[in-house]
Amino acid sequence: MTEESAGQREGKPAFRLRLRRDRTLILMTLPAIALLLVFTYLPVLGNVVAFQDYDPYLGDNGFSAMFLSPWTGLENFRRIFADPGFWHAVQNTFVLFLLQLVLYFPIPVALALLINSVVRPRVRAVAQAVMYLPHFFSWVLVVTVFQQILGGAGIIAQTLRRHGHQGIDLMTDPGIFKFLVTAEGVWKDAGWGIIVFLAALSSVPPDLYEAAAMDGAGRRRRMWHITLPALRPVIALLLVLRVGDALTVGFEQLLLQRDAVGPGASEVLDTYVWWNGIRNQDFGYAAAAGLIKGVIGLGLVLTANKVAHLMGEQGVYEK
Amino acid sequence: MTPNSVTSAPSRRRFLASTAVAAAAVAGGTPLLAACGGGNDGGKDGTTSGKDARKILPAFVASSVVTPDLPSKNGSAAGFTRAIDLGALKTSVPKKLGSGGDLKIMSPFWGTPPRGDNAYYTAMNEAIGISASWQNQDGNTYDEKLGAILASSDIPDVVVVPGWNLNGRIPSAIDAKFADLGPYLSGDKVKDYPNLAAVPTDAWQRSIFGGRLRAIPMPASYVTNIAPFYRKDVFAKKGYTLPKSPDEFLAWAKEATDARAKVWACDDLKWTAFNIYGVLNGSDKALWWDLRDGKLVNRIETDEYLEALEWTRKLYAAGVVHPDARAVKGDASNRFTAGQSLVFNGDLSYWYGSTAEQRTQKTDFEMGAFDIFGPDGGDPTLWATQPAGIFTFVSRKASERQIKDFLALADFCAAPYGTKEYMLTVYGVEGTDYTVKNGLPTKTAKGTNEVNGAYDYTGDPAAYLAHPDLPEIARLQVEWQQRMGAFTRKSSFYGLTITEPNRWTNLANDFEQLEDDIVRGRKKTGDMQQAVADWKRKGGDDLRAWYGKLLDDNGSAAK
Repeated sequence: MTEESAGQREGKPAFRLRLRRDRTLILMTLPAIALLLVFTYLPVLGNVVAFQDYDPYLGDNGFSAMFLSPWTGLENFRRIFADPGFWHAVQNTFVLFLLQLVLYFPIPVALALLINSVVRPRVRAVAQAVMYLPHFFSWVLVVTVFQQILGGAGIIAQTLRRHGHQGIDLMTDPGIFKFLVTAEGVWKDAGWGIIVFLAALSSVPPDLYEAAAMDGAGRRRRMWHITLPALRPVIALLLVLRVGDALTVGFEQLLLQRDAVGPGASEVLDTYVWWNGIRNQDFGYAAAAGLIKGVIGLGLVLTANKVAHLMGEQGVYEK
Repeated sequence: MTPNSVTSAPSRRRFLASTAVAAAAVAGGTPLLAACGGGNDGGKDGTTSGKDARKILPAFVASSVVTPDLPSKNGSAAGFTRAIDLGALKTSVPKKLGSGGDLKIMSPFWGTPPRGDNAYYTAMNEAIGISASWQNQDGNTYDEKLGAILASSDIPDVVVVPGWNLNGRIPSAIDAKFADLGPYLSGDKVKDYPNLAAVPTDAWQRSIFGGRLRAIPMPASYVTNIAPFYRKDVFAKKGYTLPKSPDEFLAWAKEATDARAKVWACDDLKWTAFNIYGVLNGSDKALWWDLRDGKLVNRIETDEYLEALEWTRKLYAAGVVHPDARAVKGDASNRFTAGQSLVFNGDLSYWYGSTAEQRTQKTDFEMGAFDIFGPDGGDPTLWATQPAGIFTFVSRKASERQIKDFLALADFCAAPYGTKEYMLTVYGVEGTDYTVKNGLPTKTAKGTNEVNGAYDYTGDPAAYLAHPDLPEIARLQVEWQQRMGAFTRKSSFYGLTITEPNRWTNLANDFEQLEDDIVRGRKKTGDMQQAVADWKRKGGDDLRAWYGKLLDDNGSAAK
């Protein structure tokens, strides 16, 4: 019995048939696959420079220079692990990640619940628009706004001085910097983050709420037994993705404020890679640091996904 | 940012230059290092001077088109304080040297780049006889763009590289990617381009990369370009007298600061502190070194370096520095002109730029630059900056015709004050970019936007200062340079372009950040001493030996 006929017997059409049947869908996905190959998978090959003393100016172009640069084995990794600056950047990255997880991640969920509880569509639309808006501001603008309000010559400091008090300068205090960048992130992107939660909430049938209300469930009970369970898979999925992205805690935002608080407070893995790779043109070293970051990120996302499965959630992919 | 970098476009007016006698700076006459020079292949470290440099350098033929009112003295720029007689402009390029070929030029640009087909670019192309198209890139992030472009296979025909972007592996990239101009300019060959022949030899000396003459330099005065500006009008109104020592300055600053009224005594003065305390010039890595008591010493190892940082730290701790300067936000010159800070340090060109801008709104606006004092209130010890600060290269892939077209462009742009070519290059097209009022050329809004940057870098005459609309500013600038020039000394590697070996190019990269941390109170002086110890251990002492070998082979420029 051929495989094809066996497949047909099990109710699964033959491969050729499926190919013909789904040709439109396949054609539609081809550009996306090409894009993924060219801009995501092909550049991965560039990671070989992590094992070289890569000099992009040795050849006619950066690509041919990869074949001319000397191999150094694990020397770049040895240098990275011996650099206190790297470990400092790792520490800053994790501290920022945890802060963002605790102080930032729950806020879009809370906002979504709030928005969802608004009955009048017009009020809801206006509130959503106001919350989305900061997402479209550039980090340059966001930092400038915060500087104008919280800086040493900002509105708050000058108001305090006018009333005989000492001025404050929250923008140059390394001690509170991590809270500051988290606050900036919340202000800018929390509104944008509610979209996916609102989408999940929109799929909850209204008759569930009506039935619960008929049974005497109050607003809190309805939220606890209907709304939050509806959000749970989405929260788990986003949490897994966020953990996988734990080492990406912001780049431009931190770079813009580096001079104000110094690298001691603001250096994270991404800025460390940029500083060494772009500014110092030590591309092999920076690629090695980026590779370490990628490997750790992969490990984290796999671990988080496993935890999600253990909690009975689907996670990023099914078991 | 390095002390030589400015927040807006360094133009003929913004970037100063000098007519310092050149060859004198090039001492020695011994062969160049075995490690340098070489053929046309890249990656050569070291330098070229003495006899080897003389074989490469263009001949010098002084320009006599217009005699300056204030001749160069003590390394200052020459000054022109008389208005140009527009009816009697001379010609320095009698016939078009361009062959009509195409040139793609990449250059830093501060501001919004004009359209490629604007009247000014069109007129310049027509006058030179070329078809140049500009790829103006954001000057503030030019180093990032430059590294990527040089690593690509699509390098523009002509590339402008500011001296402060010559970091990391860029010097070795220059050796590999750009053409040798020696066959066209060395010795008497430069006489085919009379305006380039009038460029001082010490500026050309700086254009030798990897043993070859590779660049057209933008000549600069070797006197420090960082001036401590003060609000002369406010000082007069408040009855302040100019401080004459660091202690006096701190006392004055405490008195002048009124945070409640949003007035702070000063902006960040780290660069001025370096000048006050006689710290070796920091604008070029080679200038960080000087021979003292038979031993090469780096600026970061000196007591005066720590003293300068400590004084700057005191200013911050006293709360006399504008908070936005602490946060490194905004533009220091804007805070200064707005009256929020009364002293700031910046490129000498701000003197003209800020005055011209402010006088249109505030007729009583007046700024000055105070003379730099020494640590004890006496004479300062200042260190010379390099005699060329911006370089323009032509791609090694360029054809001979393109190279000649590029040289035609450079020769045209290097036309001296008082010529038709100068007027077009600096003011643009009459009626469009400037109008004539009371015999003086005055830029229109269009001219201000379009006649800015670009052609400023692709060829320049010997350093000069001329502001026909504000002649007193040109005089004050030149006189300040002359006074400061009298206290200026040249360190051991003055005038040389030195390519450090790749393994050490990033050794001192973190010091600027550490300086800023210390003056803002985030780190302590002990951290700097630890960083210096680490620097020595990681290769600083090896680098000292390497520079020592250079010194043995090339001799010192210090005088």
